[in-house]
Amino acid sequence: MNVTIIDSLQDGKRLSTRELLDIIYEKINLGFNEFKILASGQHDIGGPLWSKNGAKDNAGLVFHVTNPGQRVGSMGMSGTKIVVHGSAPADVGWLNSGAEIVVLGDGGDTTAHCCAGGKIYIGGRVGTRSGALMKHDPKFEEPEFWVLKNTGSFSFEFMGGGKAVVCGYGCEDLKSVLSNRSCCGMVGGVVYVRGNVEGLTADVDIYPLDDADKDFLIKGLKTFLKEIEKPEIYDELIDFNRWRKILAKPYDKKKFVPELSISEFRQQKWVKGGIFSEFFGSDNEVIDLINTGENRLRIPSWDNNLKTPPCEFDCPVSIPTQKRIALLREGKIQEALNLIYRYSPFPGSVCGQVCPNLCMQTCSRKSVDEAIKVAELGVKSFENIDLGEFKPTKNKTVAIIGAGVTGLSAAWNLMRLGYNVEIFEKDTEIGGKLRQVIPAERLNQDILNIELEILKSSITTAGGKINTSYNIDKEEFERIQDDYDAVVVAVGAQNPFVLPVEGKERIIKGLDFLKEINKGNKFGVGNNVVVIGAGNAAMDVVLGAYKVGAKNVTAIDIQKPAAFEKEIEAAKSLGAKIMYPCFTEKVTPEGVYLNNGTLLKADSVIIAIGDRADLSFTGDEFLNERKQPLLNQFNQSLKADNVFFAGDSIRQGLFCDGIGQGRSAALNIDRFLEGKPLQPYKNGKKIKPDEVKDAYYRTMKKSEICALDTLDETQRCLSCAGCRDCKMCLTSCPRGAIERVEFQNADGSTAFAYISDEKKCIGCGICAGVCPCGIWTMKSRLEG
Amino acid sequence: METVDITGISKSDLKWQIEHNQDKCTLCGKCVAVCTMGAIKADVQKRRKVTSCGDCPTPQVSETVVPVIKQIVTSSKNCVGCELCAKVCPNEAIKPVLNEKNRMNVKYRALNAESPKRGGRTNLHTEGRTLDKIKIGRISQMTDPSLDALRHTFELLAPFGRVLPPENLPFSVDESGNLKIDKKIPTTRWIYPIIIGDMSIGALSPRLWEAICIAVAYLNEVHNLPIRMCTGEGGVPEKLLKSKYLKYMILQIASGHFGWNRIINSMPEMVEDPAGILIKIGQGAKPGDGGLLLSKKVEKHIQEIRGVPKSDLLSPPNHQGLYSIEESVQKMFLSMNAAFKFKVPVAIKVAASVTSVSVYNNLLRDPYDIVGGFFLDGIAGGTGAAHETSLDHTGHPIVSRLRDCYNAAVHQGKQGQIPLWAAGGLGMSGNLAADAFKMICLGANGVFTGRLMLQIAGCLGNDWGKCNACNTGLCPAGLTTQHPILMKRLDIDKVAQNIVNYFLATHTELKKLMAPIGNSTLPVGRSDALITVDKNVAERLGIQHVC
Repeated sequence: MNVTIIDSLQDGKRLSTRELLDIIYEKINLGFNEFKILASGQHDIGGPLWSKNGAKDNAGLVFHVTNPGQRVGSMGMSGTKIVVHGSAPADVGWLNSGAEIVVLGDGGDTTAHCCAGGKIYIGGRVGTRSGALMKHDPKFEEPEFWVLKNTGSFSFEFMGGGKAVVCGYGCEDLKSVLSNRSCCGMVGGVVYVRGNVEGLTADVDIYPLDDADKDFLIKGLKTFLKEIEKPEIYDELIDFNRWRKILAKPYDKKKFVPELSISEFRQQKWVKGGIFSEFFGSDNEVIDLINTGENRLRIPSWDNNLKTPPCEFDCPVSIPTQKRIALLREGKIQEALNLIYRYSPFPGSVCGQVCPNLCMQTCSRKSVDEAIKVAELGVKSFENIDLGEFKPTKNKTVAIIGAGVTGLSAAWNLMRLGYNVEIFEKDTEIGGKLRQVIPAERLNQDILNIELEILKSSITTAGGKINTSYNIDKEEFERIQDDYDAVVVAVGAQNPFVLPVEGKERIIKGLDFLKEINKGNKFGVGNNVVVIGAGNAAMDVVLGAYKVGAKNVTAIDIQKPAAFEKEIEAAKSLGAKIMYPCFTEKVTPEGVYLNNGTLLKADSVIIAIGDRADLSFTGDEFLNERKQPLLNQFNQSLKADNVFFAGDSIRQGLFCDGIGQGRSAALNIDRFLEGKPLQPYKNGKKIKPDEVKDAYYRTMKKSEICALDTLDETQRCLSCAGCRDCKMCLTSCPRGAIERVEFQNADGSTAFAYISDEKKCIGCGICAGVCPCGIWTMKSRLEG
Repeated sequence: METVDITGISKSDLKWQIEHNQDKCTLCGKCVAVCTMGAIKADVQKRRKVTSCGDCPTPQVSETVVPVIKQIVTSSKNCVGCELCAKVCPNEAIKPVLNEKNRMNVKYRALNAESPKRGGRTNLHTEGRTLDKIKIGRISQMTDPSLDALRHTFELLAPFGRVLPPENLPFSVDESGNLKIDKKIPTTRWIYPIIIGDMSIGALSPRLWEAICIAVAYLNEVHNLPIRMCTGEGGVPEKLLKSKYLKYMILQIASGHFGWNRIINSMPEMVEDPAGILIKIGQGAKPGDGGLLLSKKVEKHIQEIRGVPKSDLLSPPNHQGLYSIEESVQKMFLSMNAAFKFKVPVAIKVAASVTSVSVYNNLLRDPYDIVGGFFLDGIAGGTGAAHETSLDHTGHPIVSRLRDCYNAAVHQGKQGQIPLWAAGGLGMSGNLAADAFKMICLGANGVFTGRLMLQIAGCLGNDWGKCNACNTGLCPAGLTTQHPILMKRLDIDKVAQNIVNYFLATHTELKKLMAPIGNSTLPVGRSDALITVDKNVAERLGIQHVC
């Protein structure tokens, strides 16, 4: 085979790249396959070309080139061999796909750029980005790229396959034979390198050679050095101590892993203990969203009997009806019925009859159907009274002035507290207005009398004394103050208010009228009666007027009637008319003239707009300018600290108000005499309506309720604020944190409690949510 | 046993309504246990069924009572929609649902005689975001070579401090031919173009505040990113003041001057100068309003650091005693410069306003070389607590006003001398790099960001009314609470890691944006790189209108 020599300078004229390449194409078509090309900078010499017999012809094409332009051997194919005698500019072997390219001198920039096959041997150095984007298609032989000396920066960027060898020959003094930032983005292949390397990007790691690497280099170096005609330096290069290889980081390890994690940095380098350690220590505990123990947002508390049920709260005597029902529920019937006597001696008369029963008006059960039958429960206590005797335990005597419900309540409670009592009553009988003015229609006299008898006998049995028809003047009052350890003033309100109108002398005082009637005296009022006032006492007057023969009774008031519905209904059922607003102008023999000129015909005019106390016996020093007692918040006299006032003597109220104030006076006298601080009568907190769950209860019809025995109210009572031991909490708790425990009280009785285990409880409050009685209470740790 | 009061409040009025699916609920209690707002509780409900099952009317009644999870309805404190209940529920039985047609705006005011307060940022999105209408449109394509973000080295540095123009540099050459500086020049620090801040101790939980500090230190020391953080005005713990990490902290002084006693007393023991001082005049989220820290968050450590008792802490809306720009420069700039012996640059932050350009023009005179930066904060900035009316209805968008300030400096030939830093809703879309890059092209030297840090740290809220309870002290994520239990919900290391990660990603993205326009340093003022399809935006900002 002849060598075809192509001189790119013909007749002194340089061939263009195309003219030179056209000559090569023509010669190849003619069967020539070995060329010596004297180039003068023409580009793209060497590929993609194949001999007439095809790429697989082992004989292939051979080019010996001098002075080539760029991209010599680019896109070269298998079977092509190119030898550049001297150096070559940029892009030697660009996209080489199988050719063997030898450059005896230096290569330019981007040598072997994107090459994916063949072999490229460079006998000098190469420029920047050489070997970049090399690849290996497994269908073809792996490309090799050999460089005797060093490369420019950014070499082997984005390399994906193939083998590159940088021998670093004569570059021992360089800081890096790969210059700076080489192998950026390298994902595959291998770069063998001899000599110093620095500035590699984080995409790669450097490793020592293994045996297979060494085998490859031993074989390959010999070929390479032979091709570049420097076999003599083999021994110098084959010192493996200086060789290493560069591989791309495995895909999953590409991420930069700093030497110190954040946590290590915080513990080793950061301000010791943390910058807030002066406030919080060095506690870095991280808690879950759901916690037990101290990290709960809310903590349950089994507040049994710590809140006040509405019945007790709104009762002026604070009778704990809920506890009475609870005792019934426990089967302690007598104990339940006796409980009320710790508060009031009038369960039959007051609770059972004349009281408007504020307890029932406020009863939680009303949201289900009707209030618990507290009035009937009072009567039940009366019917089953079994109290035994009381004995004084304290060597002190308290005087009580006035034996109405207030004074009797004070005496009763003081007696039960162990005091001697002595009662001074102006009337011939004890009982006050309860006996004097309440119509028999409204109050069963037998019950009243029995209750008064019980009081009398209990007090006298306990060594107490009851003085009736006993008048007290200033001197006597002073004596009492001196002779007794304490005094309760409970003289009631005996002076009716009158109107300062013309003809006021014609007006009958309601209090006198009622007293007369209750004594059984006849009292002619004529056919037409006008009652001035429409409160509860006025309604009693209306009843009384009809009783003594009146035909038409009209009650007038300046405002909406203050009487309870029950009283008004009773009056209306007899035919009474109630009118308001009506302002009395004058009273004449014809009747009452209102300020609008209307005449209300009347044979009698009775006034019942309230009564006031006559406290003149105390002396002015006990009273203010309006003749009311000077008191502190505990109704203790500001003048004498052993004198307490109670009931209507302070301000007119209901019977239950009087009982409550009597008891309050008794309790505070006890504290006073024991040297303890006085207390307000009520200091509980009323349970909130939504804490008691009425959903648990079935709405009953009136007939069902009526058919229920009073003692069966246990089923209907919502047991506000008192645990009914139903186990809803224990059953519902999602963490099994609640246990029921039983223990012995000091008196030997058994009691129970529910306990939440803080190690299990997450503070969800389901116990509180399901508790029918409002016992479980969630205490927030986020408040404040 | 609750009564219905139509003048009061009911569930239908609420902004967030709890949907509870009783069939799926196992009554595990987790939703109630996790709720910091106390917005739900367990309760019981009656189910009553009347049936007839015979061949003729045969009435039967059955009543059962079932425990349920129920929403608590109050006039002032309700579900904020944080969704923690839904997150802890094993059965997807409960979640809050936004009630678009709620009446809380009316009810809250009518029932409480109070202006609603919250944290977060403006929840009104009436105009859309200007920055989202801007794209980087000048890409090097066969013109000047674009850069490769991966391979290229970039210098992402912005000045904090007064930059003297060349003619004012006091350089001369001595007899032996060496360059010498004839007099002292202002300190300028070249730092990363994104500053974190300025969120105070008190607004943030100690854990979050420290986590951000640690992230900043870590980014500097491990990743070589010179990120700085502004402390906000709630004082600085002495341990930080006396540590070497103070150099990454920009101390803030605002109208309340909280915590400066400890800063001043720590000076002799400081081992590093702080990175800078930022005088806060106003805040974009609530311009014209001072700081607001509600008493619930003024726990013992806050009381100590700030030197106040437990109470609502309201900073004055203005620095008291400052009545003019000149006075501000004299008193605040001069004193703060002097406090650190003129070694620490001092900048000022104001809420963007129609007056911003006048203020900036005035500052640009700076005859004493003490004005080290102008920070401009726009309406979409965040806050820990503000009156909602301030958040939603007062303030000024940042983009055009920043641009105006830059143009004003250019007009005087003084751009770059007093660095411009911008904030206010940057990163709202989640991509801080893009927002920062566009602001820089419009003339900012750098940007600052606060609210985004909370979102990175696990904030459960969003800008459409979700949570925003930063003011209550009951932050369900432990971010903006001082409560000893709630703050323990936050994992310092994880939060710091997330912040570090976000900045590493942002760093890559900034380079990705710089490369195509061929800048290897920050393209401050390169508005030629920006385009918009919105003609108004194009005209207003002086950038190319495209379609």
